[in-house]
Amino acid sequence: MKDAIAYALAESQAQELMEYLLRTVPGLPPIIQTFHIVGICIVVGSIGMINLRFLGIAVPSQNITEMLNRLMPWMWWALLVNALSGLVFVIARPLRYFYNPVFPYKLAFLIPAVALAFLVYRLNKSESKYWESSSIRLRYGQFIATISLVLWVGVIIAGRWIAYWEYLPFFYE
Amino acid sequence: MNEESSVPFTEFWAWLQALPISEHIGFTWWFPLLESIHVLAIGLVVGTILMVDLRLLGLAALRYPASRVTRELVPWTWLGFVVAFITGFGLFMVGATRYVENPAFQIKFMLLPLAAFNMAWFQFRTMRTISSWDDANVPPTTAKLAGATSLLLWIGVLLAGRWTGHLL
Repeated sequence: MKDAIAYALAESQAQELMEYLLRTVPGLPPIIQTFHIVGICIVVGSIGMINLRFLGIAVPSQNITEMLNRLMPWMWWALLVNALSGLVFVIARPLRYFYNPVFPYKLAFLIPAVALAFLVYRLNKSESKYWESSSIRLRYGQFIATISLVLWVGVIIAGRWIAYWEYLPFFYE
Repeated sequence: MNEESSVPFTEFWAWLQALPISEHIGFTWWFPLLESIHVLAIGLVVGTILMVDLRLLGLAALRYPASRVTRELVPWTWLGFVVAFITGFGLFMVGATRYVENPAFQIKFMLLPLAAFNMAWFQFRTMRTISSWDDANVPPTTAKLAGATSLLLWIGVLLAGRWTGHLL
């Protein structure tokens, strides 16, 4: 399955086009990567700060419900930008990513991180002040926030390590 | 080409690069570790600055006074900045002589002082009048200008920083 997708992509015209554009348009790779980094900054500023607020470490005067309503839309847009800008490189060099030993770790952090963010967001949408209505819910929220922080840190570190897996013998030995 | 380097302190950069720790960072998992922490710290720096800038532009977080948004976020910006600076210096040591000649790196370090100057200007000039527009949905032009300038400069820093790696 994985092999089939990887090789289908590698032999596709989309791959040829992306690879050609990245190679010939001056500055295109760092420009697209900058979109990816701005997306990361928005993720840190939104879900990162919300998690820190849950834990009582940051922005004490801002309220959890209000932060979720105000910041989460920014995060969904940032994730879309990140998915698209990331996809450009996957399409251009599918084999590099499909067979990279670190890439599965990034996904293993990313998928539950997005799922948890969505859960926190949905429950807050379904019932206003959901996370602040009882101390037990707040505790659950803090538990989720801790896991979420660890996962997002994992996403960012693994994302950067994709380019450096040769430096990290514990991934392939 | 017998062109001499146009960058000052050539010997110092060479000395820095020849330190055992520089070589250690360059050849081991230290390099990717520092770089990933650098990205995390950048997320904190630019993520928080972005929120302050959007507030100054009158585009977001209007329910909170601008001074309070700034006051609560700035410590996180500084934390990120210190971590980014330390990890960035570690990365720089590995190839100091190449980085100082790298045009993207040079642009990055022209934009960073401009961003700092913009912040200081805002802090010492515009913030003095903040009580008159703290709750305003439409901040004064000087505040908007500071926000827009900051936004552009920091995106420029990100772009130049990322571009640096493509010119090594």
